[in-house]
Amino acid sequence: MEHFIETIGRNMFAIFGVMALGGAAVVVASRSAVHSVLAFLFAMLCIAGCFLSLEAEFLGMAQILVYAGGIVVLFLFVVMLVEVSKAKEKEVFQLQSRYAIGAVLLGVAAFSAVFRKVIFGAASPQALKLSDNLAQGLDVAKQNAQAVSRGLFAGYLLPFEILSVVLLVALVGAVVLAKTERV
Amino acid sequence: MVNLNAVLLISFALFSIGIAGVLIRRNALVILMCVELMLNAANLNFIAFARHSGSVSGQAFALLVMGFAAAEVAVGLALVVALYRKRDTVQVDDINLLKG
Repeated sequence: MEHFIETIGRNMFAIFGVMALGGAAVVVASRSAVHSVLAFLFAMLCIAGCFLSLEAEFLGMAQILVYAGGIVVLFLFVVMLVEVSKAKEKEVFQLQSRYAIGAVLLGVAAFSAVFRKVIFGAASPQALKLSDNLAQGLDVAKQNAQAVSRGLFAGYLLPFEILSVVLLVALVGAVVLAKTERV
Repeated sequence: MVNLNAVLLISFALFSIGIAGVLIRRNALVILMCVELMLNAANLNFIAFARHSGSVSGQAFALLVMGFAAAEVAVGLALVVALYRKRDTVQVDDINLLKG
């Protein structure tokens, strides 16, 4: 078992990479645009895992924030605006509310199982302290963020500033393109 | 340790899937997503080579690419919405206004 876990840890990149490829294949192959977007989200999260296993911690987190938090939501909104649904729902409750409730209950159960000791157990006599491994990992992440910021702001300040202008232009351009005809 | 060749192989396959999607799909939204996949394959290469060469420049550039990808997707989706308003479709082969 120990050996198995170690093997997985060593091949983390390959696992995430293959999963990302699977997600990308579903993006291309799926008929429904919503399914494509969800597969795209999965692929982006797996690529973030690849970044993490390549010791680019800051970029992995940025990938999750930018893609899962921003771009996928944008895509979903546009799919909702553009793909007109033919059938209207007649029932009051969504079809999937049962599953939603089940998922919430499952999440609560998992949470309470994990934090059972913290919540229900006696107060720990010792102060809370990071395990050595975790502390080291956080340290590495901090160093990575520092290194990236040094590279970005010392070596590539001009491209960074140009990027900010490009983002501003894209913002204004998107508003102009997507706004309705004048009233 | 991650083998550089493995990263290159994965990113190559990802780029190929993205380019296949751009070529074979008709839905403009899916085409935009496939462009994003290609940009991510490039990012993967940047990071792999940054790690290989021990320099941080690749990671800095990957961050810049991420920002440009976000800008591109915002404009692309605005174009899709504008197109849907004008022509009532997002299928790229229905859009032949420039055809002579």
